[in-house]
Amino acid sequence: MKEMLTKEEVLHVADLARISLTEEEIKKYQVELKKLLDDVEKINNVKGYDDDILIACWENSAELRKDIAGDMLDPKEVVNNAPRHSGNYIEVPVVISEGEGA
Amino acid sequence: MSNYIPTIGVEVHVELKTKTKIFSNSINGYGEMANSLTNVVDLAYPGKAATILNCKIRRIMHFDRKNYFYPDISKNYQITQNATPIGYDGYVEITKSTGEKKKVYIEEMHIEEDTCKSAHRGTKTLLDFNRAGVPLIEIVTKPCMSDGEDVKLYLEKLRELLSFGDISDCKIEEGSMRADVNVSIRKNESDPLGTKAEIKNIGSISNAKLGVEKEIERQTKIYDAGETFKPQTRRFDDKINDTVLMRVKETGNDYRYFPEPDIPYVILTDEMIERAINSIPMLPDERREKYKKLGVSDINTEKLVANRSLSDYFNTLLDEKINHQIASNLLLGDISGYLNKNEKLITDTTLSKERFIELVNLIDNNTLTSKNLKDILDIVLESDKSIQTIIKEQGIENITDDSEIRNIVKEIINNNPESVNDYKQGHDRAIKYLMGQVMKETKGKANPKMAMDILTEELN
Repeated sequence: MKEMLTKEEVLHVADLARISLTEEEIKKYQVELKKLLDDVEKINNVKGYDDDILIACWENSAELRKDIAGDMLDPKEVVNNAPRHSGNYIEVPVVISEGEGA
Repeated sequence: MSNYIPTIGVEVHVELKTKTKIFSNSINGYGEMANSLTNVVDLAYPGKAATILNCKIRRIMHFDRKNYFYPDISKNYQITQNATPIGYDGYVEITKSTGEKKKVYIEEMHIEEDTCKSAHRGTKTLLDFNRAGVPLIEIVTKPCMSDGEDVKLYLEKLRELLSFGDISDCKIEEGSMRADVNVSIRKNESDPLGTKAEIKNIGSISNAKLGVEKEIERQTKIYDAGETFKPQTRRFDDKINDTVLMRVKETGNDYRYFPEPDIPYVILTDEMIERAINSIPMLPDERREKYKKLGVSDINTEKLVANRSLSDYFNTLLDEKINHQIASNLLLGDISGYLNKNEKLITDTTLSKERFIELVNLIDNNTLTSKNLKDILDIVLESDKSIQTIIKEQGIENITDDSEIRNIVKEIINNNPESVNDYKQGHDRAIKYLMGQVMKETKGKANPKMAMDILTEELN
């Protein structure tokens, strides 16, 4: 088992998180992220985890609610919670890779 | 003709026709003031279709988190179904212009939440969360289509099925149906699939066809020049009628899916599935078949199927012993004209099934002429009176007295010797002129069939 992650693996994770790292931080995360992964790996040893139905710690199935609308927020409150807004829209800087998501 | 074999797969998102969003009870609405249809879940402050598409239905399913950083989803993951999509292994049948029937295979369809709508304005992006959390189903085909026509026919069929099934509005212009098309080409069937380009932002079904054709052309030129290209996302620009590059995919997507721990798994019981199946209304192909069997013309059949509310109305008449072609003419002609003019649905009018049948029969036995119908239609559609009463009250009862019509016909024949002569020389148009004179003389009240029979008799 390897002792730490490669530099490329750390950079890939940083890229997914949209953060930049200094050389010093990369070295630090090569070790720390590996420790985290090793801890998470322990879950695989839990008996019954392979059961594909076990995805949560309860056994009940989801309750379905009626298709009836409830209370919503005041748009003024919504935009005031954002760092910047333009009229009723929340404003963010342009992200180049448009069109991700659904 | 290209030397390459195109392979195309389509991913379609349709917004479900619910009143509220998927994981929150905010209203699912379109066109409202920005950020007015949201609540704390949509903004992440605290942290029947399968059957119609011939899919197998998964009985036990769960949701997964698809993790990515992008402002269109403020909790940084989208709740979707990666491991247990609700439907899988389905198909939709299309009929090509050559008459050939083809199955478009559906790999899977899953439920997920819609993201917020973003608009790019120079250096800023504006976000409207009204759409965030609207329930979607994403329907993914196998790469089994081979040209723009396949894609167009598939999308048309899908839209027809999902809107008739009351599953979605499928309004492409409002974004409640959106398609991404994956296109690649290769030389031979035995070759592995070629490099893929995904076309996004397709605003209409005809643009999907055009986009695919342009993309096949573009890829053909690249390969013919001995060049290659990287997997990429393109969008269709309807101003230049071509696809343009959005971004090159340097690495594969890494969404780190994992099961959504906050939502228990969903078990679909036999009862739920049966209830869903029973709520599916008659689908378009079954309607087409029934209408044609009743003698409705192909044109009228297609027009009826294209108009859901008229088609539903017509369906209530399927077992009635009436002339269905006349009934369809009536619905698609004068009645449609009235409905369009007054922006009404047929169900908003007073035209009960019984009164409609009365109307069809009066036209069928020539008691009512098309001119008469035009005169009384507004009253027919706006009052509860029987058709016979309306006819009497409006004083438009037709002349059905044989001797009265015969006298008028004789008079017209005497006054128009030239036309009579033309008719005898074989000019068919002359009889139409004479018939027009009879109708003019009777102010449109002569029973047209009787008048024509008497006119022909007298001329011969």
